[in-house]
Amino acid sequence: MSLLTEPVTAPTIEGEPLLAVRDLTVRFGEVVANDSVNFEVRAGEVHALLGENGAGKSTLMKLIYGVNKPDSGELHFAGAPVRIDSPATARKLGIGMVFQDLRLVPALTVAENVALALPLKGIRLDRAKLARDIAEAADHFGLACDPSALVRHLSIGERQRVEILKVLMAGAKLVILDEPTSVLAPQEVDALFAGLRQLRARGLSVVIITHKLHEAREIADRVSVLRGGRMVMVGADPTAYDDRALIEAMVGRTVPALPASRPAPRSGAGTALELHGVSSRGDGGHLALHDVNLTIASGELVGVAGVSGNGQLELYEVALGLRSLEAGRVIVAGTDLAGGGPRAAIEAGGVGIPEDPVADAVVPGLSVAEHMALADLKGVRKGLGIDWAKVRSRMAALDERTGLRMAPQARRVAELSGGNIQRVILTRALGSDAKLVVAAYPSRGLDVATTRRTQELLLERRAAGAGVLVISEDVDELLELSDRILVLHAGRVAGIVRPAETDRYAIGELMLKGAP
Amino acid sequence: MSRLAAIDRAKLARGAGRLALAYAGALVLFGAFVMTKGANPVDVYREMWRSTVMNTTSIGQVLVKASPLILAGLAVAVPAKAGLVNVGGEGQVIMGAVAAGGVALALDGTLPGGVMVVVMMLAAAAAGGLWAGLAAVLRLTVRVNEAITTLLLNYVAIDLLLYLIYQPWKDKHGSGQPATRQLAVAARLPLLGTSKVHAGFLIAVVATAVIFGLLRWTSWGFRLRVVGGNAEAARRAGLPVSALLLSAMVVGGALAGLGGMVHFAGAEFKLRPGMTLNFGYIAFLAAWLARHEPVKVAGAAVLLALIAIGGDSLQLDSGLPAAAVNVLMGLVLVAVMGRGQFRAKAPKVMAVPAAQAPAVVS
Repeated sequence: MSLLTEPVTAPTIEGEPLLAVRDLTVRFGEVVANDSVNFEVRAGEVHALLGENGAGKSTLMKLIYGVNKPDSGELHFAGAPVRIDSPATARKLGIGMVFQDLRLVPALTVAENVALALPLKGIRLDRAKLARDIAEAADHFGLACDPSALVRHLSIGERQRVEILKVLMAGAKLVILDEPTSVLAPQEVDALFAGLRQLRARGLSVVIITHKLHEAREIADRVSVLRGGRMVMVGADPTAYDDRALIEAMVGRTVPALPASRPAPRSGAGTALELHGVSSRGDGGHLALHDVNLTIASGELVGVAGVSGNGQLELYEVALGLRSLEAGRVIVAGTDLAGGGPRAAIEAGGVGIPEDPVADAVVPGLSVAEHMALADLKGVRKGLGIDWAKVRSRMAALDERTGLRMAPQARRVAELSGGNIQRVILTRALGSDAKLVVAAYPSRGLDVATTRRTQELLLERRAAGAGVLVISEDVDELLELSDRILVLHAGRVAGIVRPAETDRYAIGELMLKGAP
Repeated sequence: MSRLAAIDRAKLARGAGRLALAYAGALVLFGAFVMTKGANPVDVYREMWRSTVMNTTSIGQVLVKASPLILAGLAVAVPAKAGLVNVGGEGQVIMGAVAAGGVALALDGTLPGGVMVVVMMLAAAAAGGLWAGLAAVLRLTVRVNEAITTLLLNYVAIDLLLYLIYQPWKDKHGSGQPATRQLAVAARLPLLGTSKVHAGFLIAVVATAVIFGLLRWTSWGFRLRVVGGNAEAARRAGLPVSALLLSAMVVGGALAGLGGMVHFAGAEFKLRPGMTLNFGYIAFLAAWLARHEPVKVAGAAVLLALIAIGGDSLQLDSGLPAAAVNVLMGLVLVAVMGRGQFRAKAPKVMAVPAAQAPAVVS
C-alpha cells in the first residue's frame, strides 16, 4: 500500500483547492439540475453540501464522480483541468464515493469486499497480505474493522466504515459521502464523525451530503448550499449561521417551527391501537417481533425508534392487518382484527403511509384521481361504476385541507417523482378521518417545507383525536413529535420513553443495546 | 395544459408512425422469405389482397373466422388486465365447443332453435369459465403459475374432445369418421341478412363492447386494473385480490368458451378432431398485439383472420404452403411487440424544475 508508506499530501495553502468545479451545468431534458455551479473542496477539509431533495446535490456529486456528464463547465483536480467521464477515471484520480445504499456484497468477508475495489495483480488473491493491509489501513485511518468478518454480520454503521475504508484503500484523496448518517443511531454518527476527523487530520478531503443542520455544524469546516440547481451559499463557515438562516438558504424562505405546546392526550378517549403480546415472523421466516405490547390512546402520537431492520417494518404491517401473527392480538379502535387482514383494519379506521409507496401503495398506470378512489371504493360507488365527479370533488377538498400540493388529478403516477408520489399517499392518508394513522418514514424523499407540513398534519390528526404511530430513522424528529417513543431492538420493545425525560443518546443506547 | 396536449398529440403521432413502420417491416421481411421460396413478393401480396379484401365472399370468410378469434382474444385480454397470463384459450375454446356439442346431442329436437342457441351459449360459457377457473384456483391455492396450467389444460381438453368423438358421442350413422352428428339446422346460428356471416360475429362484437364497458367504467374493471398494476397495493387497499383474480380468469374462460360455441354452431356444426384450428393460440397473438385493449384486440383478430384466409390463396396461386402465413403472423407479432425497443433514448426526467417546486407554507 503505497498510500500508507508515502506521506499523504499536506494541506495545501488556502485558495489552492484540491477540487474545483467551475460553471458546471447539466440538464435532464428541460430540467436544469445544475445551473452554472461553482464549488471547491480544499485538501484536508470536511465540506458539507446542504440542500433539499431535488436541489441537485446528488447530480453534482455524480458529475464529480463521473456518473453524469456535464453539458458545460470545467473540473480541476489537484490544480490541473480534468475530464472525468467514468467512475473508473474518478477513482484513478483519487476521488471515491460512498453511496447511500452501500455497495458491499453481504456474503463476502470484509477483506474480499475490499479486494473487489483494488486493482488485482496476478491471479491469486493473497489473503494474508490483504488482511494485513486492511488492518494496517484501519489502524492508520482510525476505522476499526475485522477483515475476516462476513459483511452480512455487520451493523449498518460497521458496513459504512468498511465502505469508506474500501474507498480509501483504493487511493482516494477525496471521499464523497451521500447522506451517511440517515441510517445511523446517534452513537454511530459520533463514531463516523470521529473517523472523518481522523481523515481530515491525515490531509484527506471529505464531502458530506446531508440535510441535518446540527451535523453539518458539528463536522464541517465549510458548508455550501444548493437550491433549485444553483449554489446559494459557497464555502461558508457553518458556525456563523443558525438553523433558521441555513434553512432559509436551502428552502428560500423560513419554515415555521412546530408548535411547542400541544394539548395533552385526552384521557378516557378510548384507544386507537392495542398490541397484546404480539409476535410475528418476518419475510425470511425469523421471528421479527417478540411479545410486543403497546397501547396508543386516541389523541396520542407514539414514535418508533430503532436501527433499521429491528422489527419496524413488521410492526407497521401488524398494526394494519397486513402481516399474520404468531401470537397475540391487534385491536384497532376497539375492533379486534382477528386475522381479518387489511380489510378489517381499514374498516376499523386504520390508514397507513408505507415505507416504500412505489412498491406497496401505488399502481403506476393509474392516475392520481384513481388512487384517491382506491382509498374508499365503497364511498364513491355509483351503481356498478365509480362516481368520478365525487372522487374529484373529494380530492380537491383533501388537497385543500392538507395543503400538500398534490400533482394534478389526471396525471399518471408513473410520471411522478418519488416526492410527488409520497405527496399523493400523504394527502390520501392524512386528509382522511381515520382513527389510527400508521406512518413509516413519512418524510422520506420530501423537501424541508413539505416535511414540516407533514409533521404538522400528523399533529393535526393527533389533535383531532386519532392515534398516530410514526416510525422514523430520525431520532430528533421523533423527540420533537412524539408523546412517547417506543424503541425496538431485535424485535423486542427495548423501552418506551417520554421525550421530556430522555435525550437522543439514551435512545441511541436502547437502539443499539436493547433493554437494560 | 395545451402544451401538454400538444406533447400528447406528438407522442400519439410518433406511436402511430412506429406501428406503421413495424407492420411494413414485417411485410418486407415476409417478402424476402417468399423470395427465397422462388415466388414474387409483389405478386403474393397482390394476390392476398385481391383474394381477401377485394372479394366479398372472402370478406365473409374472414369475419366468420374472426368471430371465435375475437372472443378467444378477449379471453386473454381480461385476465391480462389483472396481471394473469392465459395461454389456455385453445382448451377453453374446445371445452366451449364440447359443452355446446353435448347440449346439442342431449337436447336435440326438444327445444325451439332459438332457445337451443341460448342454452348452448350458456353451457359453453360455463365450461370455458370452469376450465380457466381451474387454473386460477391452482394458482391461488398451490401457487402454480397460471401460464403453465392453462397451457397444459389445453392438452387435456384436446384429449377429452378426442375421447368423446371417438367413443360415446361418435355418429353411429356417419361415414365412420370420428365426429358427432350434424347440429340441427334450427339450432345453428342464423346468417346475418343475405351475407355468409353468421350471428356469431354479432356476438363477438357485442362481447367486445361489453368487455370494453366493464373494464372502462365499472368498479370491477377498475379493481382488476389495480390488481394487475400492483397486487400488493391492491391487497393493502383491502381489495379481495384472490376473488378478483378468479373472476378475471373465469370471465376470460367464459368468453373463449363462447368462442368455441360460435365456431361449432356457426361454422362446423359438428365436433371433429382439429376443429378449432389453433384459434386459442392465434387469439393469444391478437391480444398481445393489441396490448389487451378490447377494441384493438377485435381489430387484431380480424387482421390475423385476414392473413389466415389470405394464406389459402398463397397455396393456390404461389405454390407456397398455407402454413407460410404463420411466418407472416410471427413476423408481425415480433415487429409490433418489439417496436418500443427502437425508440430514441431520451433522458428520464426525475427532478422537479425549480420554478415548479412546491411552495408550501401553511
